Amino acid sequence: MLAAARPPAPPQRPAGRRHVAGLGRLGLRTTPGRIRALAAVVVLAMAGFYVVANIAVGNARDGLRVIGHDAGPQVLATGDLYFALSDMDSQVADILLAGGGSRLDAVQHALSRYRQDRARADRAALQAAELSASDPTDQATVRSVLDGLGQYEQLANQAMVLDQQANRPAGPPTATVTAVYRQATDLMKLQLLPQAYNLTLAGGATVREAYEAKRSAASSGRVWVALTGLAVLVALAGLQIYLVARFRRRVNFALALATAVLIVLGVSSLRLLSGEATQLQLAKTDGFDSILTMSRAQAISNSMHADEIRFLLDPGRTDTYSLDYLYKSQTILYVDSGNLGAYYTKLGVAMRAYQASSPTVSFFGFYGAEARAHPGPALTAVLTRFQQVQADDQRIRQLAGAGHGRQAIAVLTGQTAGSSSYDFDRYDQAIVSLIGLRRQTFDQAIRTGDQDLGRSVLGSWAGLLPLAALGVAILVIAGVRPRLAEYR
Amino acid sequence: MKPGRVTARGRARAAAAAILVLGLSAAACSAGGPPSIAGRQTLLIGVKADQPGLGLRLADGRFAGFDVDVATYVAAKLGVQPDHVTFVPVTSATREKVLENGSVDMVVATYSITPTRDTLVTFAGPYYVAHQDTMVRADETAIHTVHDLKGKRLCQAKGSNSWVRVTQELGIAAILVQAPSYSACVAMLLAGTVDAVSTDDLILAGFAAREGPAVRILNAPFSDERYGIGLKKGDLSGCEAINRAISQMYLDGTAARLLRKWFGQTRLQLNPYVPQFEGCD
Repeated sequence: MLAAARPPAPPQRPAGRRHVAGLGRLGLRTTPGRIRALAAVVVLAMAGFYVVANIAVGNARDGLRVIGHDAGPQVLATGDLYFALSDMDSQVADILLAGGGSRLDAVQHALSRYRQDRARADRAALQAAELSASDPTDQATVRSVLDGLGQYEQLANQAMVLDQQANRPAGPPTATVTAVYRQATDLMKLQLLPQAYNLTLAGGATVREAYEAKRSAASSGRVWVALTGLAVLVALAGLQIYLVARFRRRVNFALALATAVLIVLGVSSLRLLSGEATQLQLAKTDGFDSILTMSRAQAISNSMHADEIRFLLDPGRTDTYSLDYLYKSQTILYVDSGNLGAYYTKLGVAMRAYQASSPTVSFFGFYGAEARAHPGPALTAVLTRFQQVQADDQRIRQLAGAGHGRQAIAVLTGQTAGSSSYDFDRYDQAIVSLIGLRRQTFDQAIRTGDQDLGRSVLGSWAGLLPLAALGVAILVIAGVRPRLAEYR
Repeated sequence: MKPGRVTARGRARAAAAAILVLGLSAAACSAGGPPSIAGRQTLLIGVKADQPGLGLRLADGRFAGFDVDVATYVAAKLGVQPDHVTFVPVTSATREKVLENGSVDMVVATYSITPTRDTLVTFAGPYYVAHQDTMVRADETAIHTVHDLKGKRLCQAKGSNSWVRVTQELGIAAILVQAPSYSACVAMLLAGTVDAVSTDDLILAGFAAREGPAVRILNAPFSDERYGIGLKKGDLSGCEAINRAISQMYLDGTAARLLRKWFGQTRLQLNPYVPQFEGCD
C-alpha cells in the first residue's frame, strides 16, 4: 500500500515506440517492467534447470539401460552360449569314444547332457538375438551361429547314428564316423565358437562405449545441474532483494517457498545423479569388467584344455597344439617366456610372489588385469587351480615326451586330484563361482540404480521433475502478481 | 536506485549467458576421448611391399594383395573411401615403430598377434589365421618337417616372429642366417646361402607361385598365426570399429571372395569363417 502510493504511475507508452527502441530497454525502465523482467529471468533459468536436469537424468537412465539391461546381459548370454556350444562338442566326443554296448550308462549320461546343452545354447542364442536387435552386424552373427548350430546338430547326429550302426566295442570309432565327427567339430571350432566369442566382445565394446559416453555426460551433467540451479537461486534472490528494497516489504512468502523447493530439488537431483554415477561405476568396473574378463578367461581356458587333449590324440599336429597351448596360457596369464618349459617355471615364480605375505602382481593377461583390479580369495582360488592345471600339463608332456603315451593319457583322463580332467573341472568351477560373485555385485548395483531412479516423493523422477519446476514457476508468478497489481 | 538497476540487468545478462552456454554445451557433449582412427577422413596404412599375394608394390607404384584389399575394405567401413587411403610400405622390423611415432595410422602387413607385440601395439582382429610352414629348394631331400631344420641354415627375417617359433618355442637348433626381409630370404634360398625359409603359409604361397618349380613348400604346418591389424597402443574405439568391419567382411562374403582371389590357385586350405578376435584391451 505504502509502495503503491510512492512511485509515479507508469505512463502509457505508444505501442510503436516499443518496436523502435527495443523491448528490453523500455521494459526495464519502470518498476513493473523490472519485476516482470526479473520474474521472467527466474522462470527462464528454471526452464534451463529443468532441461539440464532432465537430460542428465535421461543420461543416467540410458547408461543403466545399456549396461544393466542391454549389452551387459548380451555379454552374459553369449558367454553362456559359448559354454553350451563347447560342452555340446565335448559330449559328442565322449559319446563316440565311449561307444559300444559295454558303456551304455556313460553314453546315456553324455546324451542327456548334450540335449541340455543344446537347449541352453538355444535359449542363450535367442536371448542374444533379442538383445542385439539394434545392431545389424551382431544380429547377422547370431543368425549365422543359429544356422551353423543346425548344421552341427545334423553332422553330430549322423556321426552318432553311424556309430550305433557300426555295433563296435568301446574305444575309438570307425574311420567313417571319425570323418563325419571331424566335420562337426571343425564347424564348431572354426565357425561357431569364434562367432560366439566375438559376440561377447562386441557386447563388451558396446558397454565400454556407452559407459565412457555416459560417464562424461554424467559428470558434465552434474556440473550443469549445479550451475543452472545456482543461476535460478541467484535470480530468485535478486528478485526477492529487489522486491524488499523497492516495496519495503518483508520476505515474499511465495518466493521463499519457491527458493526452498528449488534447493530441495537441486540437492536431491545432484544426490540422485552422483548416486547413479556411483552405481553405474560399481556395475561397470566391479561387476561387468570382471565378468567379461573372467568369461573370456573361461572360454580361452576351455580351448586351451582342448589343445592339451588334441596334443595327445592327434600326433600329426603336436607342434601346432603345443604352440597354441602356450599362446592361450599366455593370453590367460602372461609371464615372459619363450616356450612351455620356461612358462611353467616363470608361472611358479610369479605365483610365489603373488601368494607372498606382501603380494606383488608380476604377471599380465586376463588374470594380471583381474589381480590388479579385484584381488581377493575367489581369484586366488582360480589362480591356485590354474597353477595345478599347468602342473598336470607339464607332467603329461614329460610323460608323452619320454614315450609313455598310455601314462600320459591316464593323467589326462583320470578323475582324481592330480589328473588333468579332474583338476580342470575344479579350475573351471572356481571361475564359475568368481563370475557368480561378480554377477551379484553387478545385479545389486543395477537394481539400486533402477530403484533410485524410480523412487522419489511424487513417484518417479520423470513425474516429479516437471511438477517441481512448474511449481517453482507458479510460485514466482504468485509472488510477483500482488506487487504488479499495485500498478494496475 | 541506480546501482540496483545495474545489478538487476547484470544478473539478467549472466543468467541469459548461462542459458546460452548451456545450450551449446549440450551439443558439445558427444566429443572427447583419446585420439582414434575411428572418424578419420584420411588414412595412412602400412602394408608390405615385397610379399606377392599379400602386399606387393607394382611397377606403377600401386599396392596389391590380400592385405591391401582387406585394408581397403576396412577403411571403407570406417568411412574412408579408397581415394583417401594412402599405402605406406613397411617391413617386419619397422611395424611397431611406425605405429608408435604416428607415421602410419594402421598396419595390415602379415602382422601376427603375439603376447609380446600385444604389449606394444593394439591389435584388432585377427582377420585371418595363417599357419607357419617351411619352404625349401625343390631338390632338397633331407627336410620333411620343421624338426629336420636342426643343424640347417634357416633364414631369419628381421623383425619377424617366425624364427622365434622354430628355435625358441619349439627348441629346434637351426642355424640362423639374418636377412632384411622375406623376399631377401627367398633370394638367399635360391642362391643356396640358406636351406630353408620358415614362415606363414600365405606368404610362402605367394613366393612359391612366383618362383614356380624352383622351390617346394613342406606342407607341414606347425602353428596358428593370427594376422592382426596393428593400431597405436590404446586406440580401443578404433580397434572395436575395425573388429566390427572384419565381422562384416566375413558376413557379406567379401572375405571368402578375397581369399579365393589371392589364394584360390594354391593348395592352401582356406577358412572362410571369421576368426576368433583377440579383444581390444
